[in-house]
Amino acid sequence: MKLTNRQHGSKLDLQMTSMIDCVFLLLIFFMVTSSFNATERELDTGITKEEAAAQQASDLAPIIVEVVKSASGFVFQVGGRQLATREELTDVLRQFDNKLDGAYVRAADDVPFLLASGAIQACKDAGFLKTVYAPQGNAN
Amino acid sequence: MTPMIDVTFLLLIFFMTVNQVSKANREKMPLPPLAGSQDQSDAELIINIDRENNIIVSPRFINLNELAGMLSERIQDAGDQPERLPVLIRVHRDADCRMVNRVMAMLERYKINRVTLGVEVPR
Repeated sequence: MKLTNRQHGSKLDLQMTSMIDCVFLLLIFFMVTSSFNATERELDTGITKEEAAAQQASDLAPIIVEVVKSASGFVFQVGGRQLATREELTDVLRQFDNKLDGAYVRAADDVPFLLASGAIQACKDAGFLKTVYAPQGNAN
Repeated sequence: MTPMIDVTFLLLIFFMTVNQVSKANREKMPLPPLAGSQDQSDAELIINIDRENNIIVSPRFINLNELAGMLSERIQDAGDQPERLPVLIRVHRDADCRMVNRVMAMLERYKINRVTLGVEVPR
């Protein structure tokens, strides 16, 4: 009984083209899907004049967080308090009740942006719904 | 048929990749390492500010006057409703606030209030 058509001594030829195609496809797939960049997110901030009207209607003034230069470097300032770290700022901001009124963040030109954005993040972490970045000289 | 299918798949993947790249339209720069408050959204205009306080609206460097012209055009495209124009500002983590303040003041003048700042989730 003949079980196979293959003749003895015939060469077994491998289809390399398809395999290479598959390998390239997989390579491209993984190159595309792999992400080596850090995940980017966003901090929403408003620059709005509508806040001024809301500010007048409310009894409580909105919180103003400033980044100022002190003897020990740049610090966050809320009212009369100066805070060295973002964590301290967040803790202080959490104690305020008027979170619906929003918060303003101001930073002078020479302030590192890292601190200004840190102040906005602290306001968000503390629960302020609207955080407005007020360019220096334009706040209120 | 097999080679044709292979070529087709390769072309498909090529165009998918190119499309993603052109959509990203963001300068490669380290952003402030913060958690942020929202995921990435589709901004109409992405303004990059590098460490030397240069403004880059991909792919070219522009000055404040050019940015003002660009904002006017975009507002016109948005039906003269600046509140409908979302703007993302991506600032290098080592930059200072000089240019950020100027750009923000300009956006305020143009009554653009949908502004977000780009941050990078720390690993």
